[in-house]
Amino acid sequence: MDIGAQLLQAGNLMLTGMVGVFLFLSILIFAMRLLANFAAQLKEAESSTSRQKIAKTASSQGVPQAHIAAISAAVATYRKNN
Amino acid sequence: MEGLINLWQATGLANFTWPALCMMAVGCGLLYLAIAKGFEPLLLVPIGFGAILTNIPVAGLGDPGGLLYYVYYIGIDSGVFPLLIFMGVGAMTDFSALIANPKMLLLGAAAQFGIFATLFGAILLNFIPGFEFTLQDASAIAIIGGADGPTAIFLASKLAPELLGAIAVAAYSYMALVPIIQPPIMKALTTKEERQIAMPQLRHVSKTEKILFPLAVLGLTILFLPAATPLVGMFCLGNLMKECGVVDRLSKTVQNELINITTIFLGLAVGSKLAADQFLTIETLGILALGAVAFGIGTGTGVLMAKTMNRFSNTPINPLVGAAGVSAVPMAARVVNKVGLESNPHNFLLMHAMGPNVAGVLGSAVAAGILLALVG
Repeated sequence: MDIGAQLLQAGNLMLTGMVGVFLFLSILIFAMRLLANFAAQLKEAESSTSRQKIAKTASSQGVPQAHIAAISAAVATYRKNN
Repeated sequence: MEGLINLWQATGLANFTWPALCMMAVGCGLLYLAIAKGFEPLLLVPIGFGAILTNIPVAGLGDPGGLLYYVYYIGIDSGVFPLLIFMGVGAMTDFSALIANPKMLLLGAAAQFGIFATLFGAILLNFIPGFEFTLQDASAIAIIGGADGPTAIFLASKLAPELLGAIAVAAYSYMALVPIIQPPIMKALTTKEERQIAMPQLRHVSKTEKILFPLAVLGLTILFLPAATPLVGMFCLGNLMKECGVVDRLSKTVQNELINITTIFLGLAVGSKLAADQFLTIETLGILALGAVAFGIGTGTGVLMAKTMNRFSNTPINPLVGAAGVSAVPMAARVVNKVGLESNPHNFLLMHAMGPNVAGVLGSAVAAGILLALVG
């Protein structure tokens, strides 16, 4: 193959190669932005779930009203008698 | 008397040839650069020693049946060693800086122009009598511009195995010379005001993003450039092992023992290609010259791309970080930081330069995949 034809091929390869690299990495930039949004949404969902869990745990750890009433009644009776 | 003559003929003294002695001197030169000057010692020590071993007369270490022959055949001819090294590099790479600022990928892409321009230059060299580079040879030589040793060795072993020794030596020599080659180009293409530009602090990157990143890169490579999956796939595997946090033992092995063992044999195998008949040619001089051109062009286009991005971006971009797009991790990023500090002692660019630096690794792997797909 003569050098002129080789140069033409090399020129084509240069153009195709650079377009290919830019295209691939540009798609990757787009994918990374999607990834960042997805990760942010995931984090938000996780934090809201954990907030709900904390609230639920707090309310479940709270003493039932019936117990409070019984304890208050017992304390009042004890104070009256002593 | 006949016994004495036979004994004499079995000695090295009787069998030395000038080209072999010359290559042993090259091997000693590489050892000197590695030990006395500290240039890429992890690779130049085994490569230099391999060059000495392969040129020993009579022993035939690099001939079929010899140790170096088998090491080359098993590790490099098959393409396994560069891929194992790439897995280790993936396990040592932190993509946070790139994930925090994805547009730095464009700098990694721009710096790959060094590869494709050199491909053109290698064919141009054919006008000089004595040079007969094919398109495959030119592609293998051009990948030196990617400033990534394993990628250069992988591509050369596939496209031009007879040029592998010269290409590997050129790639690693220029990577060691990054602190000398890059600063003059960076300073010539930027003003002092541009070099003083401070960049905003990078955002925090979550663990989820770090885990998903290698999977996303692999997914895109599978879809758009399967020819690059050997390199990108191993790189992503190494990075996933590092980031997922559940296989710390494997990650540590890949980062230490495996990469060290592979480096020893990779160096020896590359050294075995420094045989006199393959290395002492005019083509080697051409490869060394083209390698320097490739590095220079890659650095220049990276800086120019960063300058352009700085004009159109909402957030300021210091054009120096573009020079890190040539890969050569982390040396190129350190050079950017050093040149930046010379202009503004309070401006630390290291983390900002790590983005284009690791983008350069991906960019050169993608460029290698494109060359393999089109020329291989």
